[in-house]
Amino acid sequence: MKSANRELVDRLAAEYVLGTLRGRARRRFERWLLSPQVGALVKAWEQRLEGLEPRLDPVTPPATVWRGVEKKLELRKLQRQPAMRWLAVAASLVFFAVIGVFITRPPAQPQLTQQSSLQADPQTIYWRVEILGDNQELNLHVNVVHDLPPGKSHELWALPEGGGAPVSLGLMPHTGEGHRVLNASQRAALAISKQIAVSLEPEGGSPTGAPTGPVLLVAPLAPA
Amino acid sequence: MNRTDTLPPEIELAQLLQRCAAADTAAFRKLYDKTSPILFARLLRMLRRRSVAEEVLQDVYVRIWQRASQFEAHRGRALAWMVTIARYCAIDLMRRERMTLVSDDAIGEIADESAADSGGIEKPNNFDFCIEQLNDNTRRCLTLAFVEGRSHDEIAQLTTNPLGSVKSWIRRGLLALKQCLSSERQTT
Repeated sequence: MKSANRELVDRLAAEYVLGTLRGRARRRFERWLLSPQVGALVKAWEQRLEGLEPRLDPVTPPATVWRGVEKKLELRKLQRQPAMRWLAVAASLVFFAVIGVFITRPPAQPQLTQQSSLQADPQTIYWRVEILGDNQELNLHVNVVHDLPPGKSHELWALPEGGGAPVSLGLMPHTGEGHRVLNASQRAALAISKQIAVSLEPEGGSPTGAPTGPVLLVAPLAPA
Repeated sequence: MNRTDTLPPEIELAQLLQRCAAADTAAFRKLYDKTSPILFARLLRMLRRRSVAEEVLQDVYVRIWQRASQFEAHRGRALAWMVTIARYCAIDLMRRERMTLVSDDAIGEIADESAADSGGIEKPNNFDFCIEQLNDNTRRCLTLAFVEGRSHDEIAQLTTNPLGSVKSWIRRGLLALKQCLSSERQTT
């Protein structure tokens, strides 16, 4: 970042954290939060201004608030499944431990055929995307985790050659790894794509089926 | 009463957040019980309407659950992290609704007027010294913005100052605060 730019962005970061950056300016600034440099400036201001936090008497909220949270997150469904979840984790650990002794790759997994690094620069690779088999499956690895603006998701797109409409390949994981099996239209789109892209979308993904937010990263697909 | 004594210990909150990141709903409930009265008080201070604050508090905990994996436990600032989420949720709501902030009668009573007094959240080194260096107008503007979530326009109205002055006090105040905090940090 140039130093004049850096000063301006730092000023915006300060007012973003203070809360006086409003309206469209606030929304525009939120798009920049994906950049690690901007994220660092915001974090620094968050720490500086913590000193302004008031000392308040706690106020217990009514029980309806927790019930609303439970409903929105469908926590009761999760609660009913913990035993099953751990059983599944344990079973898969045993499976891979046993399989790993005999073979290096589970036979059901198709071969790695193409890959791509979604990066801001060579030092900052956000995600690695691997395409397996004949565009059948995706492996997604998070390399660098960064903050998402509240209420947003990252969505992956295939960009068909010749200017065809981007086709969604689903949401990007926040941390760790993801794997998914692609459907027929996703496979067809990838077969004629040489590039993929990530856009910033409302939580849960684009409501229209086409990218609605800014395209953050575009990267070429390369043979593995 | 020293209210910082009643705050849950940071390390416990950080551990609960880590368990939330692993989808542990019992830990989430515990985290909610320990922190929701703090965040609710903070939201009431900004939003001033109970029904609105209750609604936003739901969104705050939805986000805390969804973003628990992004909390950096080694920094050990769990409560500050959650309060920041609450503040941004409140600002988002005010931005969406262009809310006119009319206070409920009961809400004035919970607010403690001691500005620049971080409730249990660790202050940066020399924060008190640096905030005292600012003039009264600037300090008041920063407090109204940060603590109460007031916009430039609202601050101008509340303090009966021209909008331009308010904007420039805030801008200069932030810069002065940053410079003071960084120079103090170097000398200590």
